[in-house]
Amino acid sequence: MTPATQIGRPIPATVTVLEARGLVREYGAVVAVDGVDLTLAEGEFLTLFGPNGAGKSSLLGMLAGALRPTRGSVAVRGAPLDFGDVAWRARIGMVSHRGFLYAHLTAEENLRFYGELFGLGDLDERVPERLERVGLAARARAQVHELSHGMRQRLSLARALLHDPDLVLLDEPFTGLDPSAAAVLHRVLRELRDGRRTVVMVTHNLSEGLALATRVAIQVGGRLAWEGAAGGERDGFERLYHDVVEGRYARGEPTPGRDAAGRGALEARA
Amino acid sequence: MSLYLRQVRAIVWKDLLLELRTRERLVAMGAFAVLAGILFDYTLDTTRVQPEDVAAGLIWMTIVFGGLLGIGRTFHLEGQDAALQGVLMSPAPKDAVFFGKTLANFVLLYAVAVLVLGVFTFLFGLEPGGSVWMLLAALALGALGFVALGTLFAAVSSGTRMGETLLPILVFPLLLPMVIWGGVATGRLLDGRPVAEVAASLRLLGAFALVALATGAVLFRFVVED
Repeated sequence: MTPATQIGRPIPATVTVLEARGLVREYGAVVAVDGVDLTLAEGEFLTLFGPNGAGKSSLLGMLAGALRPTRGSVAVRGAPLDFGDVAWRARIGMVSHRGFLYAHLTAEENLRFYGELFGLGDLDERVPERLERVGLAARARAQVHELSHGMRQRLSLARALLHDPDLVLLDEPFTGLDPSAAAVLHRVLRELRDGRRTVVMVTHNLSEGLALATRVAIQVGGRLAWEGAAGGERDGFERLYHDVVEGRYARGEPTPGRDAAGRGALEARA
Repeated sequence: MSLYLRQVRAIVWKDLLLELRTRERLVAMGAFAVLAGILFDYTLDTTRVQPEDVAAGLIWMTIVFGGLLGIGRTFHLEGQDAALQGVLMSPAPKDAVFFGKTLANFVLLYAVAVLVLGVFTFLFGLEPGGSVWMLLAALALGALGFVALGTLFAAVSSGTRMGETLLPILVFPLLLPMVIWGGVATGRLLDGRPVAEVAASLRLLGAFALVALATGAVLFRFVVED
């Protein structure tokens, strides 16, 4: 198996990959994303938490160039991004709720197809290596509809990483996975983090999200209501999460384990 | 090979491989073509109408109706697991996606069009004789224009609640010129007229195909974005 350091290019931590300013996404009268500012440095692993309907998937969609922002801008390495920029799409890898896979193509054929779309030249080596990396080498010839949900999710991750993207976007990748599939996914994501790949992951899984992140944010009502560095224990973060989601954090109300200034076990992060 | 052509080729390969595995469109279109030919054969009162007089129009109507059965499902498999979104998030330009899907549709529809010609030739006792190649050329030009518009509007209708029901309503009026020129060319060729008499219709079919392809390539991105 190829070590993560060989898959990801070693890169300095201070280089900004992506800078979003005032991102807004409206669906008719509904404001899904409401003025989000976000800066991602190379090598950062940002885990984005938030309740259902907070606008996390819409935010990811805009960062991926798949969803046109109603307002706001995205700059890539300092250069303003035109929506749908082909060059930018070549540098993004996304795992969504949906796998973006063809049920009647084999695992190998799906990766080969996407490899052709990305113009990759070494598919004979790259495709088996990616399948091996996510533990699907033995099922390379199986059609996707024959694979379990966990296998499809891992294949989707292999698809997203096929072209060595600069930025990996993950939308609830742990949903519906059994423990062994989750362990494989966790290992691959840890390799990405250790390989200094820039990652944004949306998840409801606090344990996985905190274990992998170098930075954490909570999105509520379309806004980033809290951001901080990762670290510390899960229970403390869970209290903070509920405070932020239920508005106590914004109002500065004291809750068990936290003082009136909103500082608690996680004060070092904020 | 340029990246653009690789992307188009990949989409054609993928669509044809999926069709080979599922056979969900070709079987429906082929069965419709054969059944329509049989029904027309039985319902035609040959004491009042000679089959060769109406064959050209019936051939093109069968191609249009049968073709829409398949073309309407162009994006059906793309919708499962949001595969089209994955394609649109790749660096493949939207027009490359359009041309890839249109070419794959062309292969399928042309196969059906040739089958329709064969069925009607057999059932109606037609004698194309030396004009077979010109007939095949007319079918190819007509099919190209048809799939270009059909693919574009299949993308439109796939994003609506009415889905495939909406497609004929959107496409039929636009296909009228193709059916007219295709019918004229086919009728004259079956009648054994000289090629010079169908040249104008063939040129118009070709122009229709080019305009449909260009329109589809330009508009497709607006249909699939967001």
